[in-house]
Amino acid sequence: MDPAPALYVIRINGHLGATVLSAFPAMASRLQGAETVLTGLLDRSALYGVLAEAEALGLDLLEVRQLIPHCGSPELGDSRSP
Amino acid sequence: MVDRVLSELADARGDITLVIDDLHELNSPEALSQLTRLLMSLPPRVHAILTTRHDLRLRLHQLRLAGELAEIRAADLRFSERETRELLDASGIALSDAGAALLHQRTEGWAAGLRLAALSLAGHSDPERFVAEFSGSDRTVAEYLIAEMLERQPADVQDLLLRTSLLDRVNGELADLLTGRPGSERILLELEDANSFVESLDPERTWFRYHRLFADLLRLELRRTLPGDVPELHRRAAGWFTLQGQVVEAIRHTQAAGDWPEAARLLADHSFSLTLDGQAQTIQALVRAFPSGTDHPELALVRAGGDLVQGRLDQAAAYLAVAETHAGTAPPDRRRGLRVAIASLKLSLARRRGHLAGVIEQVRFLASPVTGQSDEDIALDRDLRAVALMNLGTAEAWSLGLPDAERHLREGAVLAREIGRPYLEVGCLAQLGFAYIFHGAAMPKIHPFAMTQARCREAIALAERYGWGAEPVIAPALMTLAGTMVWLGEFDEGERWLRRTERALRTDTGPDIRLLLHLTAGILHAGRGRRHEALEEFSAAEHLGSQLEGLQALASQVTGWLLATQARLGLPGEARACLAALDDERAGSGEIRNARAVICLAEGDPAGALGAVRDVLDGTAPVLGYVTVVEADLLAGLAYRELGDPRAANQAAERALALAESDRLVLPFAVTGSRELLEALPRHETAHAALLADILDVLHGSSPAAREQSSLPPADELSPGELRVLRYLPTNLSRPEIAGELSVSPSTVSTHIRSIYAKLEVRDRSAAVQRARELRLLAARTGTTVT
Repeated sequence: MDPAPALYVIRINGHLGATVLSAFPAMASRLQGAETVLTGLLDRSALYGVLAEAEALGLDLLEVRQLIPHCGSPELGDSRSP
Repeated sequence: MVDRVLSELADARGDITLVIDDLHELNSPEALSQLTRLLMSLPPRVHAILTTRHDLRLRLHQLRLAGELAEIRAADLRFSERETRELLDASGIALSDAGAALLHQRTEGWAAGLRLAALSLAGHSDPERFVAEFSGSDRTVAEYLIAEMLERQPADVQDLLLRTSLLDRVNGELADLLTGRPGSERILLELEDANSFVESLDPERTWFRYHRLFADLLRLELRRTLPGDVPELHRRAAGWFTLQGQVVEAIRHTQAAGDWPEAARLLADHSFSLTLDGQAQTIQALVRAFPSGTDHPELALVRAGGDLVQGRLDQAAAYLAVAETHAGTAPPDRRRGLRVAIASLKLSLARRRGHLAGVIEQVRFLASPVTGQSDEDIALDRDLRAVALMNLGTAEAWSLGLPDAERHLREGAVLAREIGRPYLEVGCLAQLGFAYIFHGAAMPKIHPFAMTQARCREAIALAERYGWGAEPVIAPALMTLAGTMVWLGEFDEGERWLRRTERALRTDTGPDIRLLLHLTAGILHAGRGRRHEALEEFSAAEHLGSQLEGLQALASQVTGWLLATQARLGLPGEARACLAALDDERAGSGEIRNARAVICLAEGDPAGALGAVRDVLDGTAPVLGYVTVVEADLLAGLAYRELGDPRAANQAAERALALAESDRLVLPFAVTGSRELLEALPRHETAHAALLADILDVLHGSSPAAREQSSLPPADELSPGELRVLRYLPTNLSRPEIAGELSVSPSTVSTHIRSIYAKLEVRDRSAAVQRARELRLLAARTGTTVT
C-alpha cells in the first residue's frame, strides 16, 4: 500500500515510565504537559504494531498524526531533541 | 460449519446461549463473513454473546436496526463511583468517601486499574496517602499501579513474577527452574488467592497464567531490569519443555533465546513426528520465525515437508535433495532419524506424483528393520509403518490396485489408532473412502454407493472431532462424498460438499488432488447440462493429469469426459483429433470407447456409435466401473433410436435401468441426454418404474426451462402420507429404507416423494428438506391433524 516509511507523531494520555517506553524502542519520546508524545519513522506494519502495543498495554491514545516531511520542519527537529 | 451449527441449533430444545470469547483473534474475512451469516440467521430461541477487545467487521447493522443487538461498550463497563465503593468494601479496604471518589476519578472507572489499585491498597498502612500520591502522578494508570504492586511484594515474589513472565503458562516446577529457588508453587497459589491477575488453568491448580496486561508489563520490566538473563531463562524453559516432550514450546523458547542453529536442529528432528500429529501449519509458523537471510541446512527438510503439504512438488523435491546431502554430514545418532524422515517425504512425493514404482521403492527402504531396539526406535518403526501403509494404499487406490489398496489403508488406519496418531488414521480413512468409489463402481452389489458415503461420513466425523474437518487431509473423503451425490443425481447436495472440499484444499495446490477436484466439478456441471463450464473443468483436469507420472486410474475417465463434452458441444472435429492422438491402450478403454460413440452420434453416424460401444457391452473392454456400462447401454439406445429401431432402443434403456437400480444411479441418464429415450419407454414394459420416474424428475429439473421456474409458495398442502415420508428426508435413509420404516412399499415412497417435490416445487431431496424447513413442515406437530 505505502512502502515508504513516514514520520508519525502519537500522543498518549499520561506520562509513560521507562518500563512502558521500552515497548516502543523505535520511537523517541517527550513529555508535553500531562501527555507523552512519541515520534518515529514507521512503515505501515510498524505503525500498526505500535498501535497494537498501545492497545495491549491499556494506554489512552489521544492522537495519531503523520507528518509531511519537508526540510527544516520544526517538528522533525523537536522529535530528535532528547 | 455454519450450516452444521445452524442445523444443530434448529434441532435443539429450549433456550440456548452461544458464547464466543476473544473474537478479536479471528482475522480472516471469510471467517468473519461466515460468522455474520450465522449471527443473522440464528433461530429465535438462540442468543449469542460475543466478546472482543476491539470492533470487528461484522455486518450487524440490520440486527442493530431491529433492536436485536445489545452492545456493552467501554462506557458501560466503566465502574461508577458507587461500584468503586462496593469493590473497595468487598476487598476490605477502608478508604474515605473522598479517597474513593479520587480513585474513581484517577482510574476513570477502568476495571483493571481499580483491581490493581485494590491490590496495592490491601494492607497498605496509609491508603489515603496512596490515593493522594496516585492522583498526583502523571504516570499512566497501569504502569503506576503495577510498579506499586510489585514494590509491595517480597523480593522472591517480585523475582518470580518477572522471570516467569516470558512463559505463556507456568507451574511450580517450571517457576522453580527459572528462579533457581524451590517453593514457587506455594507463591503462585498465594498470588491466585490474593488477586485476580494470576489465575489457575486447571481444577488441580497446577498451571497458572497471568492477566494479559499484567504479563505484558512484567515482560517489559524484565527486559529492562534483567536484559542479560532473558536468553538463559528461555534456554531453561526450552530444556524443561523438551524433557516434557512439548517440542513446539521448546522450539519457540530456543528461538526466543536466539539459539537459531539449535532451534533448527530441534525442528528438523521433530518435524516428522509433528507432521504425523497434523501440525503442519505450526511447523510452517516456526520456520517463518527464523530470521531471513541466514538459512540453516537443517531447515531444508522442514521446508520440503511444507511444500509437499501444499502440493508444490518440484520445490519439495529440490529441498529434499539439499536435506539428503546434509543428512550425510550429521552425527551418526541423528543420521538414522533424518534419513527416515527424508525417505518418508520421498514416499509422499512419489505418491502425490502418481508414481507407484517410486512408492514401492521407498516402502522397501522403510521396511528395513531399525538396528537399535530402544523405545524411541520402536516408536519410530511403528510411525513409519503406518505412514508407509497410508502412502502405499493411496498409490494403489489411484492405480486401481483395489484389493491391495483397501487392505493397506485398513491396516494403516488400525495401526495409526493403536499408536495414537489420529491424523494418520484420518488420512487412511479419507483415502479409503476415495478407494471405495472405484470399488463400488466395480462391484455395486458388494459396495454400494450408500456404503461408500457412510465410510466417507465416518472419516469426516473423525476429522471434525480433531478440528481437521476443513484440512487437506480429509479432502479425498469430502470429494468422494460430493462425487457420489452427483452420481446419484443429488446435485445441490453434491455442490455443497464440493464447495467444502475446495475450502479444505485452499492451501493445497498439488496436481493429484486438484485433478480430482476439477473432474468432480466437471461431472457436476455435466449433470446439470452446463457443458461449457464442464468442458473448462475437464480441460483443467486433463492438463494436470499430464503433470503426473505413471498410469493413474483417472486418466481414461478424464479424457473420456473431455472428448464426450467436446462432441456434445458441437465440436466433434476437435474431439476426433484428440482421440487420434491416444495410444491403443487408452483408446481401448471402455470410457474412451463411450466417448467415441458420443462423437459418432454427434457426427450423425449411429452405426459407428453402436460399433464403438460393442466391446463395452459384451464385457471385453476394460472399464472403471459399471457406470461405464450403464452409459454404453444408453448410448446404444440413442443410436438405435436414430436407426429407427425403437424395440432395440427400449431394450437398451431397460438394461441401463436394471444396472442402475441397486445404487439408484441418475447421472449417466442426465449426461447422455436420454430423456426422450426414457420417455418413449412404455411404463408397463419396465420393471423399474420408480427409478425411471426419479430419473425423469431430475432430467426435467436440469432442463433450462425448469431452472427458470419461480419459487412460489406451494399451492397444495401435503397429504398425511406425504408428510410422514417428508420427515424422513433429512435422514440418510434410502427410499427402500424409508419404506421399511413406514411399512409401505418402496414404490409408494417414491410416489409420495415425487408428489412432495411437485408440491414444494423442488427438484431434489436436499432442496425439499430446505424448503420444508422454511415452511416449518418438519417440526413435529403433535396433536394437530394435517389435512
